[in-house]
Amino acid sequence: MQKIISAIVDDIGKVLLGKEHQVKLALACLLARGHLLIEDLPGMGKTTLAHALAQVLGLSYKRVQFTSDMLPADIIGVSIFERESGQFRFHEGPVFSQVLLADEINRSSPKTQSALLEAMEERQVSVDGETRPLPEPFFVIATQNPLQQSGTFVLPESQLDRFLMRISLGYPTREAERALFKGVDPRAQLAQIKPRINTDGLRKLQSLVNQVKASDSLLDYLERLVQHTRQSAECGVGLSPRGALALLHAARAWALIHNRSHLLPEDLQAVLPSVAGHRLQSDGTDGTQLVERMMHQVDIIAA
Amino acid sequence: MSVHSGQLQTLLPRESLLWVFAAQLVVLLPHFAHLPIWLVFAWCIAVYWRLEVFRGRREIPGRVVKLVAVSLAVAGLAMTYRRWFALEPMVALLAVSFTLKNIELLSRRDAMLSLMLAYFLAATLFVFDQTIPYALYGVFSLLVITAALVAQQGSGSARAGRALGLSAKLLAQAVPVMLVLFVVMPRLGPLWAVPQNTSAASTGISDSMSPGDFSRLSKSDKPALRISFDGPVPPPEQRYWRGLVYTHFDGRRWSEPGITGNRWAGRRSRVRGEGEQSLPAVGPRYRYQVIQEASHNPWLFAMATPHSGTRGVRTTDEDTLIYRNPVGSRLAYDVRSWPRDSIPAQSQLSAAELRRHLQLPDSGNPEARAWAVARRQEGMDAEAISQALLTMYNRSFTYTLQPPALGANTVDEFLFGTRQGFCEHFANSYVFTMRAAGVPARVVAGYQGGEWVEQQEYLLVRQYDAHAWAEIWLPERGWVRVDPTASVAPQRIRDGLQSAAAEEFMQDAFLPLHKIPFVTRLRLQWDMINYRWYRTVVSFDAERQEGLLRRLLGEISPLRVAIFLGTPMAIALVALLIWLKLSSRGPALAPADRVYLRFCKRMARAGLPRNPGEAPGDYARRVEREWPALGLMVLRITLAYEKAAFADDTGALKQLRRLVRVFWPLRLSARSGISTNSLPTSAR
Repeated sequence: MQKIISAIVDDIGKVLLGKEHQVKLALACLLARGHLLIEDLPGMGKTTLAHALAQVLGLSYKRVQFTSDMLPADIIGVSIFERESGQFRFHEGPVFSQVLLADEINRSSPKTQSALLEAMEERQVSVDGETRPLPEPFFVIATQNPLQQSGTFVLPESQLDRFLMRISLGYPTREAERALFKGVDPRAQLAQIKPRINTDGLRKLQSLVNQVKASDSLLDYLERLVQHTRQSAECGVGLSPRGALALLHAARAWALIHNRSHLLPEDLQAVLPSVAGHRLQSDGTDGTQLVERMMHQVDIIAA
Repeated sequence: MSVHSGQLQTLLPRESLLWVFAAQLVVLLPHFAHLPIWLVFAWCIAVYWRLEVFRGRREIPGRVVKLVAVSLAVAGLAMTYRRWFALEPMVALLAVSFTLKNIELLSRRDAMLSLMLAYFLAATLFVFDQTIPYALYGVFSLLVITAALVAQQGSGSARAGRALGLSAKLLAQAVPVMLVLFVVMPRLGPLWAVPQNTSAASTGISDSMSPGDFSRLSKSDKPALRISFDGPVPPPEQRYWRGLVYTHFDGRRWSEPGITGNRWAGRRSRVRGEGEQSLPAVGPRYRYQVIQEASHNPWLFAMATPHSGTRGVRTTDEDTLIYRNPVGSRLAYDVRSWPRDSIPAQSQLSAAELRRHLQLPDSGNPEARAWAVARRQEGMDAEAISQALLTMYNRSFTYTLQPPALGANTVDEFLFGTRQGFCEHFANSYVFTMRAAGVPARVVAGYQGGEWVEQQEYLLVRQYDAHAWAEIWLPERGWVRVDPTASVAPQRIRDGLQSAAAEEFMQDAFLPLHKIPFVTRLRLQWDMINYRWYRTVVSFDAERQEGLLRRLLGEISPLRVAIFLGTPMAIALVALLIWLKLSSRGPALAPADRVYLRFCKRMARAGLPRNPGEAPGDYARRVEREWPALGLMVLRITLAYEKAAFADDTGALKQLRRLVRVFWPLRLSARSGISTNSLPTSAR
């Protein structure tokens, strides 16, 4: 099992050079059955990461480029009257796939954004009064441009909360970039990636995540972290119970990736910025900085 | 409205206002009983007006309205009381100012002022009554006032549960301080004599005795005296608590010249000075403390030949005790009594005394006089006549609580007619007859008997124990007590009224509670609680305070008092410190955490502390980087800790303990080689 995981990480690492941490985070997110939001400037490899993930996990993959004039039907699908049968037939939209890459999600109008809400949370869509289940597993990997960019709609908190993690890739290191210049075109590399795991294997991995043990000491630490977000004057809004659960779940997946059957505080700390960053609000400062400060303020052992 | 708009902005919020009114109501409620009724209305109007102001329907009263209100109130007080320097008008004045403050209750400062005044008013409650229910009510008042103060802080703390809870917490915290202050606070005498309320009617022995007085008293089961003995206890037949001596008889009423109402005046104010009649140097037979209920009379009660060391208590010529003022509230006094037979008799009665004790009205009761003269002519001496009279009582008289009414010649009708009577009839006829026979005699009124409470802790004497008896003068023995009632109803003296009067006892009582043993026991219990309350709390005066401090400290010196005060305070502070430390630590640490923290502490002392929030794994890697000599050891400890704390591995916990026990960073690094290399990079 561990071999498969490290192979997956290695494979993606070939396409996305020097971003091992982010790759692992993304993988942990998927193993924890969460949706992933990648936020960065254009051209940093957001789409590449999403594409590589889908491919290496052997999942069906669809991509939707969000635009401001997009309608919900463009994602979910639409019923069309067919003359030969004399009936309406539902044409599935891109949401009916195992991995949905919602590119530049914040370019579309809130209406369209929220069409994804039900799909993400319930893993089903309702069209014309009929509920249709989505394929299993179902991941949404959304990318978004930083909000300062023009022509973007801010994702509402409720929608942000649907994403288990928000990560950003950042500029590559000098060495990584040099290797990129010298090496093969990433797009060509992408095409060569073979699935390392099938759907059953993935499901098994996901169930293993739930078996990672969290001791009382660790839950204490988690509790103190969560309490800190709720009581600190810095945080406008604290972590919700769903946020806390997400944190625990993501940390478990992280521990599994690192071949541990029990959680360590490091696991929590590793996923904390990506899980809590977009859920916490503070006036002015970025949520991620808040989380960094929080990790220094809350000690691992209650003293 | 524009004039007041500035004020309105700082107006008290609704909760604050309601809390202030609630506190006022709680404080004023017990006072309503004795305050004039118009004051109650005034308070209601003031509150109503203030609420109208709050709703914006009325303006805050202007200067004219206030002036009118103040003059009305002052006029009302003057009309109601007609005198100023007494207790009630003073309390009423306080209540009035408290009430009037409501119409200018604008800012938070005003609310504070009103509440502080409420504390003061709550304290004045104890001027009137110091019993347990009132004390409990006082605590309740404190609770509400403090809660109102808490509520002034704002919306969240104005919620009833929260305010009262915090208030209760504050009061509970103040209890130790209260106890210490109760013990050490100097007891000041009253700064000025406040005239007590003297008009209150009360039951008790009055300044005169006429037929029917004592049977009225026998219907009251209110406590009169509570007596606790220090040392030997007199037998029941000796328990005569003498209060007043009556020497003057006008044919119907026995009274004492010089006593009118509750004033002890005229020639009777000539009281025996200290040491004028020397009491024997050998100790008194009985020492006891009497706690007397408010009687509104100055006379006190004690056994024959008493002496009291309590301030304000004097001994009179008649061997009774009197107090300098009428007893307006419970009074405790210590008495030493020498039984008459233990001290040398007074040799001679002066001519005036003799005249006084032989006084009889010019006419009336001829039969009794004739009987006495006849006995005298038979050659009987005083003792023989007395014996003859008592024998007569014994043979053919009945003791009853409901004697038939008597006409003009009370003695004759009783002796030779009805022959049914209560103690006063016997005392009356006995003294009359003895005087007619030429024997100096007098009536003594007081209480007789009493009921033991709680294994003889104290003797409870009730109003129905009121009794009248006689004393005659025998030349060789001085004054001798003769109780004619004893020859008729000896059980009255031995066992008390209840067994002597049996069916008649407390017949008129609305509920015959005295017949239910359980209720009787309960009432005695309650009386005992009251008694202890009074002895330990209310009567804790300067003298007893000094006694207690002396017992606690040995001697009273500033140093010892300071130690006495300081020690509990220091203990309290230390306890608080420990408590704070314990409570801030939260739940107890897991064993693995504790051991790991010890390791961290040692590392910190060695100069490489773990950063706050640094995960153990990260810390281990940092140590490995900065202080390679320790790297391996730290890594092992960290691994063991991680296993113990996060994988719940008990074996790992043992291993962790073992590892940390021998882990001394500086020693380890010194052993492992060159010192400069072995120090952390940050410490170099």
